[in-house]
Amino acid sequence: MAFVKTHKSKAYFKRFQVKYKRRREGKTDYRARIRLINQDKNKYNTPKYRFVVRFTNKDITAQIISASIAGDLVLASAYSHELPRYGLEVGLTNYAAAYCTGLLVARRVLKMLEMDDEYQGNIEATGEDFSVEPAESRRPFRALLDVGLVRTTTGNRVFGALKGALDGGLDIPHSDKRFAGFKKDEKQLDAEVHRNYIFGGHVASYMKTLMEDEPEKYQAHFSEYIKRGIEPDDMEEMYKKVHAAIRADPTAIKSTKQPPKERKRFNLKKLTYEERKAKLIERLNALNASASADADEDEDED
Amino acid sequence: MPAGHGLRARTRDLFSRPFRKKGYIPLTTYLRTYRIGDYVDIKVNGAVHKGMPHKFYHGRTGRVWNVTKRAIGVEINKQVGNRIIKKRIHVRVEHVQPSRCQEDFRSRVKKNDQLKAEAKARGEIISTKRRPEGPKPGFMVEGATLETVTPIPYDVVNDLKGGY
Repeated sequence: MAFVKTHKSKAYFKRFQVKYKRRREGKTDYRARIRLINQDKNKYNTPKYRFVVRFTNKDITAQIISASIAGDLVLASAYSHELPRYGLEVGLTNYAAAYCTGLLVARRVLKMLEMDDEYQGNIEATGEDFSVEPAESRRPFRALLDVGLVRTTTGNRVFGALKGALDGGLDIPHSDKRFAGFKKDEKQLDAEVHRNYIFGGHVASYMKTLMEDEPEKYQAHFSEYIKRGIEPDDMEEMYKKVHAAIRADPTAIKSTKQPPKERKRFNLKKLTYEERKAKLIERLNALNASASADADEDEDED
Repeated sequence: MPAGHGLRARTRDLFSRPFRKKGYIPLTTYLRTYRIGDYVDIKVNGAVHKGMPHKFYHGRTGRVWNVTKRAIGVEINKQVGNRIIKKRIHVRVEHVQPSRCQEDFRSRVKKNDQLKAEAKARGEIISTKRRPEGPKPGFMVEGATLETVTPIPYDVVNDLKGGY
């Protein structure tokens, strides 16, 4: 390629239209957002809830959110860093942890709205497709899955969280096509495989193969598991206990930390007009002083 | 070639999006709710092709008479010949904005109600009618110096210097 200096002219900048801020940050897909938020006008102010699932490198966030002009309102939220409270300390971003987080937020919301007795959901976690049946008194809590910018492949952890919420008792329209264990050839969900994933079976079998073939890698990779003495065969029991603990007490605890009195600054504070003028005068004085010093030196040399 | 009078004829600039505002439309348009009896302005958004009203209605204000899943029924006055007809159209919410035409009226009503209640508590009678601005009051001119100007008598000899 020829070596051409890239120049964006003044005209380019004058005509440039910036994308929305969250699009520039790459965080929001507005096409999807419009379609998720749009409520029928003849339903007036009825909120439309989204079941939002987001993954970071070390955490899972599951929230129930409704939109408003002033800003979105979070009805309930659950993070996978809360799972140690229920007995799960390692593997906080895997499929099983996503299931637990989805289950936690579902039970939390239902308890908040006092629907948790009517809608128990699926207590025994089989991998089968389960949808909530409407009870006599109230209709089930409806939310729409919001995956964000994730690629929705079969077996994605997002659908693990979805399964957790469904088994928790929420009404989320879905199909079983993207659950782990769906066979494209037969067009059917293999419930056994899905159940395996929900209880961390895929992690357990990897642990077993590593223990036999590469013990050093096993020590490195699963060091936290080893530290807590978790064997591959205990995983299912552990997850069953976590599910039971979540169903027993899903209420959120408020943290007792006080917000810091002064906010930490991560960028320089903007100077006022006077400060900028003063700085300029200082710089000019310094320049003149050094220039006169140089001139004196030159005179001395001559 | 003939002129063409299609539905969107002569709307090249009217329906185009403003400079640097193309693309997705802000979400508040979808989050607003409208009730029957509200006043709304119709402003066509060229980015959304469905539910567009005819160009005549762009800039008109009318009352809501119907609310459906994605659109709103608006009743607008149109002059046809020698009479004004109330026309009922359905428009998608992207082409509608809440109107501020009654804002001044409503705030005045609220203020007047409050003033009347206060006056009643004090036992006086006040008039809350709006009054047009009267003539300005008289005032003294400040900083004026007086300079008397008198005319000088016409001098024929000097003025005909130029030639005659």
